[in-house]
Amino acid sequence: VISLEESRPLSDGQVIRAADRPLREVNAEIRSAVAAGQHIRVTEPLSRHNLGVALPAGGSVTFDGSVGYYCGGLNNGATIAVTRNTGWGLGEAMASGQITVEGDAAMSVGASLRGGVIHVRGNAGPRCGVAMKGGLIVVEGSVGHACGFMAHGGRVICLGDTADAAGDSLWEGEIWVAGRIRGLGVDSRVEEPPAEDVAVVRKALAGVGLDDGGREWKRIVSAQALWHFESRDAQQWLMI
Amino acid sequence: MCGIAGRTLNHPGSIGADLTAMMAAQRHRGSDSTGFALYREPLENAYVVRALLADRAHLEKDLEALRAVTREHGGDFVEDPTWDDSGQRHVLARFLVSDPEPFSDWVDACDGLERVELQSAGRALEIVKDLGDAHEVAAKHGVQEFVGTHGLGHVRLATESNVSPVAGHPFWARPFADVAIVHNGQLTNYYTWRRRLQRQGYRFTTENDSELIAVWNSDRMAAGDSLQQSLELSLRELDGVFTYLLATADGIALAKDRWAIKPVVAVVAPDGVAVATEEQSLRTLYQEEIDVEVNDGPSIVRIWPAASTVALPVAV
Repeated sequence: VISLEESRPLSDGQVIRAADRPLREVNAEIRSAVAAGQHIRVTEPLSRHNLGVALPAGGSVTFDGSVGYYCGGLNNGATIAVTRNTGWGLGEAMASGQITVEGDAAMSVGASLRGGVIHVRGNAGPRCGVAMKGGLIVVEGSVGHACGFMAHGGRVICLGDTADAAGDSLWEGEIWVAGRIRGLGVDSRVEEPPAEDVAVVRKALAGVGLDDGGREWKRIVSAQALWHFESRDAQQWLMI
Repeated sequence: MCGIAGRTLNHPGSIGADLTAMMAAQRHRGSDSTGFALYREPLENAYVVRALLADRAHLEKDLEALRAVTREHGGDFVEDPTWDDSGQRHVLARFLVSDPEPFSDWVDACDGLERVELQSAGRALEIVKDLGDAHEVAAKHGVQEFVGTHGLGHVRLATESNVSPVAGHPFWARPFADVAIVHNGQLTNYYTWRRRLQRQGYRFTTENDSELIAVWNSDRMAAGDSLQQSLELSLRELDGVFTYLLATADGIALAKDRWAIKPVVAVVAPDGVAVATEEQSLRTLYQEEIDVEVNDGPSIVRIWPAASTVALPVAV
């Protein structure tokens, strides 16, 4: 383990090799370079887990290849790019910053997301935006089942289709779908969004370089039946 | 948690070394024990047997007892047994036997011997499992040198039963020759199925739900189901969260439950197929950027035959 002070500062455009090196060492180098406002590349990520976690604002890091679980987790302002695919929990609990994935992202994209932007150019796996509290997830392809599961806030924008159980147990927050909604989860409903909200989404898409393109938006929101305890259901609860 | 892996090769090759590397990369998923199910091209007139003998002090006596039981069933040792020189109290012995009859009676008789439990028996299959991580277990039992057609690997984080060399995976589908399983997950209707299968006469040596899945599928196939039919039925009949890999002498297969909790990824490469819980396990074999089949979704069944069993075009 090396401390941040000891790690060698890396100049702009410098390359950090991940491969089989100790992950703490790789992450310490990434963090110190990003904190110094540099723009770096990481080669041979080899689908390893926990790359580029808890990065501060300042610079950017590009992973040349596929990464494993929890890439960009707890991000606090850095700009992160992945040139291929990611594993589970991309940008988990991110507070701010931006993550862009050129390929597909696996399960639980932006789990417990609080802020910032996650942009997946390919498809996202199941439970995209699970328990998210804020922030924005844009998926250009399709999302897997139970997208937005138990989300408390924030917005998912899906340009493709959803799988089954979209918006399952949604509390707050919104899932915008341009394609087909294959099935809704428990306590969610579809509504046609008002023009002023479409304008907000159009602006959000423009922020990641995408054109709204006159899509027919469907918005999945909470049906709010699970928000309140109903006294007529008391007997059911007592039976549990 | 547990980590699993499967590997097939288009031509017999370094199955042992490949699976050791794949399991070493998933060490963090379970450190209680590591195991391998290794397949070579089937023997014609003999079974290869792996047996755990509980006490090295009684090794010669227990091997003699195994030989005697085999002779009582019309077979014999085809060559002298070998075993690990790890110095551990328990011993993993390997021997070839000419066909004992009836096979399942012979299995019962072997397991009935004091201090003896068969780990596998088959024309092609050898199960090697022990306490320790992938490199430790491979070094103790010569896994790195194994040349074969396909195989399975497992690292175990014990959640449901004891930590011991016999409680680790892979499990042999006793008494079905050449069927093995590795599993990541838990069954919730384990006891229901265990009681049913026991009433049919099957015998379980552990209280591990994974052992049941292997026997369950073998029983379906013995009743006439194809492998595909059996795997598909298991998604409905077995309750719980599970991803398992089942291997036969013909290749490996995958089944994943309808809740889609336990991850599994695969790569179909020019030299063969690699399947694992985590992608970084596949990348120990394929460092270049590859197309990975991410099976995060529910209710998945896949079958990958080992290519040695597929008829290859013959030059005339």
